[in-house]
Amino acid sequence: MKKDILAVAVLLIFAAVFIMVTDFQSVEEYYNAHPEDVKNAEKTVTISIECKSILKDINIKKLDESVLPYIPNNGIILKKTRFVLWDNDTVFDVLQRASQYKKIPLEYQGSTQNTFGSAYVEGINHLYEFSCGELSGWSYSVNGEFPQQGCSSYILKNGDNVKWLYSCDLGRDIGNTATGGYNEQ
Amino acid sequence: MNSKVVNSFGTLHPFVLLIYFAGIIITAMFSMNPVILTFALLGGVAFMVTQCSKNEFFSDLFFYIPMFLLIAIINPLFSHKGVTPIFFMNGNPVTVEAILYGVDISLMLVSVIYWCKCYSKIMTVDKFLFLFGKAAKKLSLVLSMAIRFIPLFRDNFREIRQVQMSLGLYNKKGILNKLSSELKVFSALITKALENSADTSASMRARGYGLKGRSHFSLFKFRKRDLVFTVILTILFSVTITGFCLGVTDFTFYPHLDSLRLDIVSGVVYISFGIIAFLPFITEIREAIVWKLSVSKI
Repeated sequence: MKKDILAVAVLLIFAAVFIMVTDFQSVEEYYNAHPEDVKNAEKTVTISIECKSILKDINIKKLDESVLPYIPNNGIILKKTRFVLWDNDTVFDVLQRASQYKKIPLEYQGSTQNTFGSAYVEGINHLYEFSCGELSGWSYSVNGEFPQQGCSSYILKNGDNVKWLYSCDLGRDIGNTATGGYNEQ
Repeated sequence: MNSKVVNSFGTLHPFVLLIYFAGIIITAMFSMNPVILTFALLGGVAFMVTQCSKNEFFSDLFFYIPMFLLIAIINPLFSHKGVTPIFFMNGNPVTVEAILYGVDISLMLVSVIYWCKCYSKIMTVDKFLFLFGKAAKKLSLVLSMAIRFIPLFRDNFREIRQVQMSLGLYNKKGILNKLSSELKVFSALITKALENSADTSASMRARGYGLKGRSHFSLFKFRKRDLVFTVILTILFSVTITGFCLGVTDFTFYPHLDSLRLDIVSGVVYISFGIIAFLPFITEIREAIVWKLSVSKI
């Protein structure tokens, strides 16, 4: 009897801790956040999200059929948009805010969940890593260059231009020179 | 539920049984289709009802229902795919699709476990040795011993503890005393298991197991009934597998739920799999009815 009470108490404590550290939000609450006003902001960055590489004929054949309805016709998920930049904001922070304001579904692995020590973006707008062949996934460029570090460890400066690009070929098709790609510009 | 376990399906030829269990376990393992998996689970549970006692069945349920729910709940906590969020948890969506996917996965897991339990009830050591004893002498013996090892270990453990208790060597007061008593039982258990395995190998060698020209005794005969079952199973399995290969039963959960295909072609596949899944149950029920009727005639 005594043991049972102890077991129930331990379970209750676990449940209480779990509920306390977890932040529950309804769908409306989550998407109700409004972007800060860019006009009066000291520092701003622009961000765009594109998956144009999928639209090529060789790549669209490899695409998982169930994702097809979520690919925009022009390949642009988020056109170049300006957002307020706070101090020490990383590429990941800006992406997360942008996805929240623009209601774009985003799934990521937090920086504590993997061995890289940086957040890893698994999917944006239902388009996931490996959705388009085994070399596909999301990667980002800042001012046209591909930084060789995780998105939550790259701190942005005023006026930076962030692009999230979906690659179907390990970055080679979107101009990431570090993985053997060429720059189209 | 009978207290007496009827066993009609188990009297089939071991070869037919092997085809059946291999087929159904593999199909259930590789399918994501909720209809197929529901059939597999219900068929397995229904057959289990005829094969075990009331107590065993309900104690199983007490284990498998929480396991089912646990897996179904865990998936949406880690997978945030899907288009219909219910609420957000630490900024991550908990979606309907992820929950249903979790339910589907637990359906698959529990149905495969149930069919494996049925397998171990039906495919006894003698059947297994009959099938593989000639082709792989040592391996089949080792395998059949290994499959039996854990239940035997558990029974031995209970027996030794009972003996120690009745001898007054088992101290139940306090955690530490209990622990040291359990350790004593455990060391005796290990000794017994080692001795057993040495005994078994010596005994099998003394019988000349695996020698050339040594024949097996078995009562298994391939009868007309086995032929009928083989033909039925071959037809049904080929229909199901053809359906699988043609993608009739394909079902995806992410990013949005597929609409379940319900037309004649998929209906044929579902029905043929449903017959496969409930075949052992139907066989047992038919046997029970025939038994009842013949009793009342006398």
